[in-house]
Amino acid sequence: MSYFLRRLMHGTFLLIGVSILTFLFTTLAPGNYFDEMRLNPQISPETVAALRAQYQLDRPLPMRYGRWVKALLHGDMGFSFAYNSPVAPLLWVRARNTLLLTVMATLMAWGLALPLGIWSATTLGRLPDRAISGATAALLVIPDLVLAIAMLILAVRSGWFPTGGMASAAVEGLSPVQKLRDLAWHMELPVLAVVLSALPTLVRHVRAAVAEVLDAPFLRAAASHGIPRRTLLYRYALRAAANPLISLFGFSVGTLLSGSLLVEVVMSWPGLGPLLLEAILARDLFVVIGGVLCSTVFLVTGNFFADVLIYWADPRIRSQADA
Amino acid sequence: MMQRGRWKRWLVALAILHGIIGCAGFFAPYDPAEQDRERPYLPPMKIHIVDTTGHFHFRPFFYAVHLRDGSFDQFEESTDQVLPLHFLVSGARYRFLGLVPSRMHFFGASASRIYLLGSDAYGRDQLSRILNGGQISLLAGLLGAGLTLFFGVLIGATAGFYGGWRDGLLMRVAELFMALPWLYMLLALRAFLPLTVSPPWAFFLIIAVIGTVGWARPARLVRGVVLSAKERDYVRAARGFGAKDDYLLRRHVLPETSSVILTQAAILVPQFVLAEMTLSFLGLGVPEPVPTWGSLLASLQQYSVLVSYWWMYLPALAIVPFFLGYLGLASALQQDAGTEKIEKATSGVR
Amino acid sequence: MDRLLIVEKLAKRYERAGVLGAKKEVMALQDVSFSIGRASTLALVGESGSGKSTLALCIACLERPTSGRVVFDGKEIATLDEKQLRAVRPKIQLVFQDPARSLNPRFSAIELVSEPLIVQGRLNKQEREDRARDLLVQVGIPQVKASQKADEFSGGQRQRLAIARALSLEPKLLILDEALSALDCSVQAQISNLLLELQASLGLTYLFITHDLGMAAHLADEIAVMEQGRVVELGAAEKLLRAPGQEVTRRLIAATPRLGAAGNLPQVV
Repeated sequence: MSYFLRRLMHGTFLLIGVSILTFLFTTLAPGNYFDEMRLNPQISPETVAALRAQYQLDRPLPMRYGRWVKALLHGDMGFSFAYNSPVAPLLWVRARNTLLLTVMATLMAWGLALPLGIWSATTLGRLPDRAISGATAALLVIPDLVLAIAMLILAVRSGWFPTGGMASAAVEGLSPVQKLRDLAWHMELPVLAVVLSALPTLVRHVRAAVAEVLDAPFLRAAASHGIPRRTLLYRYALRAAANPLISLFGFSVGTLLSGSLLVEVVMSWPGLGPLLLEAILARDLFVVIGGVLCSTVFLVTGNFFADVLIYWADPRIRSQADA
Repeated sequence: MMQRGRWKRWLVALAILHGIIGCAGFFAPYDPAEQDRERPYLPPMKIHIVDTTGHFHFRPFFYAVHLRDGSFDQFEESTDQVLPLHFLVSGARYRFLGLVPSRMHFFGASASRIYLLGSDAYGRDQLSRILNGGQISLLAGLLGAGLTLFFGVLIGATAGFYGGWRDGLLMRVAELFMALPWLYMLLALRAFLPLTVSPPWAFFLIIAVIGTVGWARPARLVRGVVLSAKERDYVRAARGFGAKDDYLLRRHVLPETSSVILTQAAILVPQFVLAEMTLSFLGLGVPEPVPTWGSLLASLQQYSVLVSYWWMYLPALAIVPFFLGYLGLASALQQDAGTEKIEKATSGVR
Repeated sequence: MDRLLIVEKLAKRYERAGVLGAKKEVMALQDVSFSIGRASTLALVGESGSGKSTLALCIACLERPTSGRVVFDGKEIATLDEKQLRAVRPKIQLVFQDPARSLNPRFSAIELVSEPLIVQGRLNKQEREDRARDLLVQVGIPQVKASQKADEFSGGQRQRLAIARALSLEPKLLILDEALSALDCSVQAQISNLLLELQASLGLTYLFITHDLGMAAHLADEIAVMEQGRVVELGAAEKLLRAPGQEVTRRLIAATPRLGAAGNLPQVV
């Protein structure tokens, strides 16, 4: 139990650290946000003055940070000037969409990477491995921006996929099942784009991790005892490879989140990505901070999930932790 | 299977690619900012060697292009106007490698402009824009990677060599930087800096932002190498003859990090070029009229462009050979490092 | 002063983190006293963990003893600070056990041997190179190999390089910490003969640390036997081997095949 507590605390410290970092950026950066806002004709000088007073920009840094954290804990994430609404509800909808996209992409990416990587590792040097390695190399060479735009062009020219958004225009009048199918149809291309950009690295790493385990002395000893191949693979090798693979999973969360951001912008998926971009262009301070913190929450949660998996999968960690 | 020095071939290939971009002014037929409002969104021109009368021409040629009657964006060839392709022509002024003024271009045509890769909304030659745009993107990637590696080595070596509270603090900060997904962090950093800046300032800003985002992972790797290097017997022996810290770092410890640094460089440069492209694509990079690979793609965010003008996608492909080159280089370097480890391990057995 | 090195009641205590957070004390050295005469060899013999290497590090001033005195050439050195030590360090040099690890594989032979001179800032570039070449000759490394990298030499040659390096600062005392243990048998014989030659021509004093009593017998004038951080027996080599006083010494003699069988000192080719 103390293991989980420790990991939870670690995650919390990370969140606090990132929030301080983000807060510092806004205050220490040249080009004061509020100065630029004054240049924006849509916001009246009185509003700017009022906002300055409200956020007490003349108070010392730690105090401002403290007030901000207090407000945060009450669910108040600030005010969006561009949308003219509190930030929190704005973020929640978008975050949910990003979560949907990223989780689906993670499941699919790992769902493909594991079998492909394992197959590659078990047939090292032979045709399946070489084919898979060739395919991953080809994909690796195409950066995700290029891939995303290419897929969008494919969608546009072929008409097989919707060219953006999360739902069709006529979605309101449909039954729940039809709505789900519509959602799935809209998700296909974005999820595919994220998966394809993350897949090659994942497959390579899975292959490397499994290949290393397959080469280990303990496995050869087991093989010499006459244990059948399939059991060797699933019961022995994969268990041993679980640890590095789960760490890899933790790493991949960050990459997948970044990949989703790009795909969301290119394919107009209404997630955190387009929101963040608009906020940056509109100098909408609190939305930017909120969006960034949201992504960190996702990443830290993803890593915590990886910690849970490791605890469950690796007996060494279990015994160390429970000691 | 294990050939030492395979990476050199990749390096040569990369040098050639970079060289072409470096001499963009020469290889590009026109000035990238030169507009031709009469020919917006021109598709790529076709090369011919046989004309409509069946004549074979030794010198490849193009047909001049005019607007089709009744259309405002469909072009067709004027089969009466032949534009022969010439090599080493005199054209717009530029500075070779940014220093030497010149007017010599690799190819061109005399009477009218030829658009090998089509034109954009203002009639600017896409090929010229891609070649010149590459200079900015590649330079940003190289300088950004250099900055990141500089910080990474500085911080990683300090943490690894001196240990103690310095190590603890620096590694905690590194963890913080790794707690943000990189693209979110990139955008956040960019967000908090002034939006509208002049192109040269924007360029340096981008490099600073890109360079600040990625130092954590290289720092960790360098730290690992430094930690193991400083425990070696020959370092202790050198201390035994009175060597001081900076001598040890310079002569014994830092040279051990060279292979890690090189491999990281090969991995980081393409990533950072991509980062610049992404920023420019999103409108947060170097602003108009300076072309970069990213901003050349920005027009694709308009539905009409996406649907009708497929050649506007071509700048995206420009980076692919570079990715391939850097990937091959990184692979070869890592293989060499792996071979080195095996060789060391087996030789120590004696 | 005919005793170059005098060690008096040397003690070294290490603190190790124990199981439940309590600190465990480990006495690596306790009440160690001996001395070495000029131009002679003392062999320090003992099993693994008896404290030999710790003692070597303390004498070479790479570790500070908890208590006791180390008197080198008439001067107390255990309590000197780093600055004062700088003058003393060149006179006491170490040769480590594994030359593959104690020599930076990327350095060439010349670079390795002249490194101490560079670090100490002595001589100019040309003089350093000349001195390095002289040393290579003295230890029997052919001149053609002078620019080769360390990893291109064999184990025995590397140990010669390590010895040459140790000699570059003209030390008076050479501490050889298991310096022959990692070498093949025939190479061991060559190197130990080299050591004897160098001692004769340069008047070096050796502290020879080993677990192999046979080697000690060949090289040493006096032998000190260590067990669990203490010196349990000390005396002239021949006497000690013929009539060992302590149990541990008898064990060590029995474990050395040649000595045990014939009861005589071995003939080395």
